[in-house]
Amino acid sequence: MADSDPIIRLRHVERSYTRGGEILPVLQGLDLEMEAGAFYALMGPSGSGKTTMLNLIGGLDSPDAGEVIVAGEHVDLLRGAELSHWRAEHVGFVFQGFNLLPVLTARENVELPLQLTPLSRSQRRAQAERALTLVGLADRMTHRPAQLSGGQEQRVAIARAIATDPSIILADEPTGDLDRRTAEQILDLMQRLNRELGKTILMVTHDPVAAEFADRVIHLDKGRLGRIDHNHEPRRISAEAAADVG
Amino acid sequence: MSPRLILKNLLAHPLRSILTLGSVALAVFLVCMLQAVVTALSSATSAASSQRLWVQSAVSLFVDLPLSYESKIAGVAGVETVCKFQWFGGEYRDGGSFFAQFGVDADTFGPAYPELDVVDGSYDAFAGRRDGCLVGQALADQYGWKVGQTVPIIGRIFPRVDGSAWDFVIQGIYRAKTTAVDERTLYFHFDYLREAIEQGAVRMEPGVGVYLVDLRDGAEPTAVMSAIDALFENGPQRVQTTTEAEFARQFVTMLGSVPVLLRSIGGAVLFAIFFAILNTMLMAARERTRDLGVLKALGFTDRWVFVGLTVESLLLCVLGGAIGIAVAFVLSLGVAKAIASFVPGFEIAGESVALGMGLSIALGLVAGCVPAWNASRLKPVAALRAED
Amino acid sequence: MAFVPIRYNWRSLFVRRSSTALTVVSIGATVAVLAAVLALQQGFATLLTERGREDVAVILRTGAGAESESGLSREDSELLIKESPEFAVDAEGRPLASAESYLAVRLRKTDGGETNVPIRGVQQGTFRVHGDDLRVREGGRNFAPGSDEVIVGWRIAERIRNCGLGDTLRLNLTPFKVVGLFEAPGAFESEVWGDAERILAALERPVYSRVIGVLRDGVTAADLQERLAADKRLSVKAVDERSYLSGQTEALSGVFLGLGIFLTLVMGLGAVFTGINAMYSSIAARTREVGILLSTGFRPFAIFVSFLLEAGFLGLLGGIVGVLMVLPLDGVQTGTTNFATFSEFAFSFRITGVVIGGAVAVAVALGVFGGALPAWRAARMEVTTALRRH
Repeated sequence: MADSDPIIRLRHVERSYTRGGEILPVLQGLDLEMEAGAFYALMGPSGSGKTTMLNLIGGLDSPDAGEVIVAGEHVDLLRGAELSHWRAEHVGFVFQGFNLLPVLTARENVELPLQLTPLSRSQRRAQAERALTLVGLADRMTHRPAQLSGGQEQRVAIARAIATDPSIILADEPTGDLDRRTAEQILDLMQRLNRELGKTILMVTHDPVAAEFADRVIHLDKGRLGRIDHNHEPRRISAEAAADVG
Repeated sequence: MSPRLILKNLLAHPLRSILTLGSVALAVFLVCMLQAVVTALSSATSAASSQRLWVQSAVSLFVDLPLSYESKIAGVAGVETVCKFQWFGGEYRDGGSFFAQFGVDADTFGPAYPELDVVDGSYDAFAGRRDGCLVGQALADQYGWKVGQTVPIIGRIFPRVDGSAWDFVIQGIYRAKTTAVDERTLYFHFDYLREAIEQGAVRMEPGVGVYLVDLRDGAEPTAVMSAIDALFENGPQRVQTTTEAEFARQFVTMLGSVPVLLRSIGGAVLFAIFFAILNTMLMAARERTRDLGVLKALGFTDRWVFVGLTVESLLLCVLGGAIGIAVAFVLSLGVAKAIASFVPGFEIAGESVALGMGLSIALGLVAGCVPAWNASRLKPVAALRAED
Repeated sequence: MAFVPIRYNWRSLFVRRSSTALTVVSIGATVAVLAAVLALQQGFATLLTERGREDVAVILRTGAGAESESGLSREDSELLIKESPEFAVDAEGRPLASAESYLAVRLRKTDGGETNVPIRGVQQGTFRVHGDDLRVREGGRNFAPGSDEVIVGWRIAERIRNCGLGDTLRLNLTPFKVVGLFEAPGAFESEVWGDAERILAALERPVYSRVIGVLRDGVTAADLQERLAADKRLSVKAVDERSYLSGQTEALSGVFLGLGIFLTLVMGLGAVFTGINAMYSSIAARTREVGILLSTGFRPFAIFVSFLLEAGFLGLLGGIVGVLMVLPLDGVQTGTTNFATFSEFAFSFRITGVVIGGAVAVAVALGVFGGALPAWRAARMEVTTALRRH
């Protein structure tokens, strides 16, 4: 698990937003390093900059100052199409609201990021099916998002995030819209991705129970780094939740 | 965006797509029809010959020229033949249906008009019978006329004293090889009219509306025209000689503002539909703001998003345009018959199709570009935050 | 039953400003086309029929449908004027009747091209027949009897070359001086008038075209026609001026009306499509609001009415925009050849109450038609689903 070279490195990162003419500093000189292959939870009160940090790491947003180095790349220096290509190759996103395209079936949603790769049509299809099988939805391939439950939708989203085999998965409140039992199943799935496939996972959450599933818990407060907790024994899925994983 | 995603997006809101398709189809349909009318109105000009000259009164088209002019015109160098033309302006069946009738000289009319192709009966039969007439295919179709049938026409300019109708017997049905001649005309013998006048059946002076001059090969039209005009410079009646092409053009200019009016309507239709489609495309893109954010987060570039949305709009408009053109084409067959007496030669031809297709493409591109541009400029973070 | 406050709809239209504006403009443009064609038809039709008089008889040669096809010898004309007891007489005992010659002469238009302009030669009796209906505009005067002078209908003064006040208009070989521009009932305003004898001479015409006369009280054109038909010396027919004029324009008026109806149907359908799309999208974006309204206790019918009203507003705005778009057309001159007479006919767009009312009514109807289906759907939403949607 412990790799000496950090996969994510933030140096003096600053980011502020203007709202209604007022400047709101969100991140104020953040320094942080994350190890490859670990499962991180990112916690903090509302407005502490969790999502902003996630977006910066994922290249969805750029810092006002400082460096964001992810998988050896200076993400803060990438622009436009370069950034798009980098995202496609290195990170997978999982959102609170699932964000599946409603017009596509589960398999087509998972195939979407694969269209940015040189894979052939049949290879793409095979890989999408593999990812869906991995998240336990082999029998829901041709369902539309509207025909799936919330938990199933989130699994499709996870399958989409891992379809291109990125080294990093960024998840923003992935269990925020789910009930406790379904949430545990999703967290269990993320643990498996981390352990079995070696994905580095950074999960924003405000739920302390969800955070217990991670190896490390990073606390953010008012745009500054708080403490980092090590869960020596991460929480495991409860028996009753495990019982109804189909 | 992949072709599949574009297609699925279009199919996701079937009603909206169909309605948009319908709007474009209607607009293109209208523009095609209006264009076809304008084309038809001006088509006579393009096919008109410059080898045929028309000699008319310098004062007015409604003033007849003396019969004696025929031999004088025939004497001008460069003139091959001269044919008398007289507008008859009669009524068939109580005036409910209008078509032109002309009295002509059979021996010179046919040779001057090689465009005329007698498909039923024969020109010789027409030439050989005093009260015979030639009718266009379109007329024959409309009234179900057959060769040998008698067509009674009430004279309005040349009313018979006893109030009876003029009886013309169909000896031939012709088709026109070019639009210089329309297929809705009845030609009869000028001499038949003249004899009737001379016999006192009509209280009128015999006169000739227009002399048609067929030029000898190699003759210079302008020289012949000025020679004829000079011949009658000092009366008794001055004439104005023009080429058939110029004569036809004069008729087109008489339409005045009609072509402009029709074009303005077409422009306004496009204006209205453009905003409608732009609106629809903007709505469609706005509703999908979050989807677009997801695509961008997944690594799709701004250009992908731009091209995808533009293609989506283009696809819709081109398909709609094709439907509009097809409908216009099918309907035009019926419409052509209905308006043949006002607008002969109405058809959805290459020009209208090209215009319709060009406009659909332009509509699709422009209406698609605006939302596509907006979408491609979207910041993924902002897009993902968007409410549905 | 409680209705949703209309403020809600009104403000919603302003919240979605750009969408509302685009929908309004597209409905407006549709309505503008209809209004323009309607204005044309109005300008055309009123010019011809409104002022045709039923107490004025028009006598033409039997069989002729128009003046251009007619011919009346000098003797016949004289006879008709002097010996028709049907015609009224003026204070001095002269019959209120007149012979006129008519010939459409080829003249150049100011914008290039040629057209056939009606040249009417009139006897002084014509002015007595029309009385105050005909007025020479300020700055000009009527032509002097027997002189080479003409007056020109104001509508063609600027459309046809050499027809302005003070210009010299050459008819055949004779130069005529334009001494006045006149306003008169209907189609006369597209004509050039001069002394009958001088015009006949200049145009080398042997005969008059028609005789007109004011009918005595209680006498109709049909009575006159009855007597004339029985008169073996003459081969003429009489009709009243109103039917004569409408006969001249039936075909062209029909073309405009047909064009108007055709455009209304086709473009109206397009506008309804637009309206449906706009309202659907607008309501879809407000699903949650519908849910809130429903959960507050508004009945589905109230919601239906509310959205229908909103669509009606949208149409109303479109109608106003459409009318504003065509307003500058009011009074604009245009012209074409009336194929019934084969001569120039100038008329103007007229934005009348009928045009405005018709355009706005059509616009509101288009909005309501477009809004009906989406409003119905909104009203039938389940509260829970509506609230759950993001």
